[in-house]
Amino acid sequence: MEGQLNSRYVELNMGPQHPSTHGVLRLKLLLDGETVKNVEPVIGYLHRNAEKICELDYYCDSLIYFDRMDYVAAMNMEVGYLEAAEKLLAIEPPERVKWIRVIMAELNRLASHLVWAGAFGLDLGMITPFFYFFEEREKILNLFTEICGSRQETNYMSIGGVYQDFNDKIIFKIKQFLKQFPKKMEGAYSLFIKNDIFLSRTKGIGILEPEVALSYGVTGPMLRASGVPYDVRKDAPYLVYDKLNFDIPISKGKDVLARCIVRFEEMRQSVKILNQALDKIPDGPYFNPKAKKSLMIRLRGEGDVYARTESPKGEFGVHLVGDGTVKPYRLHVRSPAFKNLSVLPFLSRDVLIADMVAISGSIDLVFGEVDR
Amino acid sequence: MPYEVKEEAGKDGRKIFLIQKENFLELMTDLRKQGYDHLSLITAVDFRDRIELVYHLQKSASNFELLTVRTVTYDSTIDSVTSIWESANWDEREQYDMMGVVFRGHPNLKRILLPEGWVGYPLRKDYDLSKNQYVNMDDEGNDRVSFDPGDGW
Amino acid sequence: MKTGDAGFITTTLENALEWGRSNSIWPFTFGLACCAIEMMATQASRLDISRFGSEVFRNSPRQSDLMIVSGTVTKKMAPRLKRLYDEMPYPKYVIAMGVCVIQGGPYNQGYSVVMGVDRVVPVDVYVPGCPPTPEALTHGIMLLQDKIRKREGK
Repeated sequence: MEGQLNSRYVELNMGPQHPSTHGVLRLKLLLDGETVKNVEPVIGYLHRNAEKICELDYYCDSLIYFDRMDYVAAMNMEVGYLEAAEKLLAIEPPERVKWIRVIMAELNRLASHLVWAGAFGLDLGMITPFFYFFEEREKILNLFTEICGSRQETNYMSIGGVYQDFNDKIIFKIKQFLKQFPKKMEGAYSLFIKNDIFLSRTKGIGILEPEVALSYGVTGPMLRASGVPYDVRKDAPYLVYDKLNFDIPISKGKDVLARCIVRFEEMRQSVKILNQALDKIPDGPYFNPKAKKSLMIRLRGEGDVYARTESPKGEFGVHLVGDGTVKPYRLHVRSPAFKNLSVLPFLSRDVLIADMVAISGSIDLVFGEVDR
Repeated sequence: MPYEVKEEAGKDGRKIFLIQKENFLELMTDLRKQGYDHLSLITAVDFRDRIELVYHLQKSASNFELLTVRTVTYDSTIDSVTSIWESANWDEREQYDMMGVVFRGHPNLKRILLPEGWVGYPLRKDYDLSKNQYVNMDDEGNDRVSFDPGDGW
Repeated sequence: MKTGDAGFITTTLENALEWGRSNSIWPFTFGLACCAIEMMATQASRLDISRFGSEVFRNSPRQSDLMIVSGTVTKKMAPRLKRLYDEMPYPKYVIAMGVCVIQGGPYNQGYSVVMGVDRVVPVDVYVPGCPPTPEALTHGIMLLQDKIRKREGK
């Protein structure tokens, strides 16, 4: 203790309960005045043993734990798990189901990015955008309530199908939402991008070179903001993404501002995908009869599969091992936010403590997924 | 090549390399030189008598194509690949935490998700779920784990 | 509270205090998991809880009256939660939001989740749901206000 008092550096403990850590992240900071010398993230305050419980449950039951992993993008998590489970159990969803899943996943991507944008604004001291973004998110959640009866943790999809079919009314409502959404989003976006304070707090902060990003396993908008055009939807298409026309936004900025711009551009692309998908959605059954409700708990799988999908945070991978019984033998999740967080000590070396908050906000952390 | 690599196709059409534990680090070093610069995931699977380690690698130059490397360890130890990919650092800590795999040469091998002092490795098949463990905190902010319910909150 | 005909009010000091207290509950931003997002939605547009005097979310336990425990409490987090609760000034209230907080919820067969936050801190109002809708949380806050007015709290 005496030695520490004479030391030039101050140890500061940030979290696990702190408004700008987006949940329960604890950061052990070593400060020299206001400059961060070293950061040690301590995680695991939301470790809910989802992987162990999945081993004790049927294949179809595991889905609810995926909803609660990345809890602001439940649909994307469900798509990720079902990609793996359907490969293992050899059940092919009908064509209509694939389109429905794309629509729901993209809607939830919008919702997830809106939550991120609101929280990021709060991190930087802007309260107004939060209300605009959450208003739009409420509209998406209202659509979800109408389609699946639940707001956030939807549990909408099931093995080989979805829980309820779309009807014309739903499609009309989604189209109506999409008509007014871009204008509202651009309006709130201009609160960010036309604000001098915002620009000076984000430009040139937290520069992440592409080689470093790859070495740390960073994916998603963070990697694309460093100029690497990796998106699973394009590089290894799943569902019907190969039939849709959209671009992968990248930026050469590599900084916090670039991550913000990339995420907003992604939202525009999601709107583009949704408009196409709603026009092209074919008719047909909404579940595979091999996996109807009474047969669902008897599905058996053997071998191991790995499926990757693009969640709003990055590459979401599920490694699933089956031993021929009705329960998974081992399930392991590649959580994008976990990997993206591991680069934080590198990014926050020798930055100001206020900039470190901006950097950790730009990662888009969701602790359900980091700790599982 | 001085070592033998068995190649097979996975159930979902993945390319899988099977490698002996002794030559594992050599293969990984060679793969890094061949352009596999993105280590996506490290999984350990407990088969009671052995632990299988599965590494998912990607190559950024050719559309992030996937390669799976598989190896088996009977004594729960394996060489660490942290010197090759930075991302292995947290992945290996997670597998040590959950499965008890000891990665030789890891710079900071300690628990990452569970508190220090937790007894047992929860994702192993022989982990006893019926025994409750309680966590307390001392003044310094460090965790203290005990089995005693009276020590609970 | 009784009103006299002559346009004056007679009440006890306690009643007046509890009335004021119940209409200015300042919650502590104790977001843990999924329910925290719904808590944010309760605070945001559409379901503005400032209508009930609770818009001021405080980031410090020293300045708040109400701890909304929203999200799963893990064993690693429980001692920290208890310390934060101890740091809050009296009178203090706790709302348990979501089934994870009430009894472990979907995670109750696991090894690292606390089976109910009432093993750690005393709870005044339970709001079930996974996650509860913002309307449910608003209802929970109104129940707590009733409880404070009837002086059933601490």
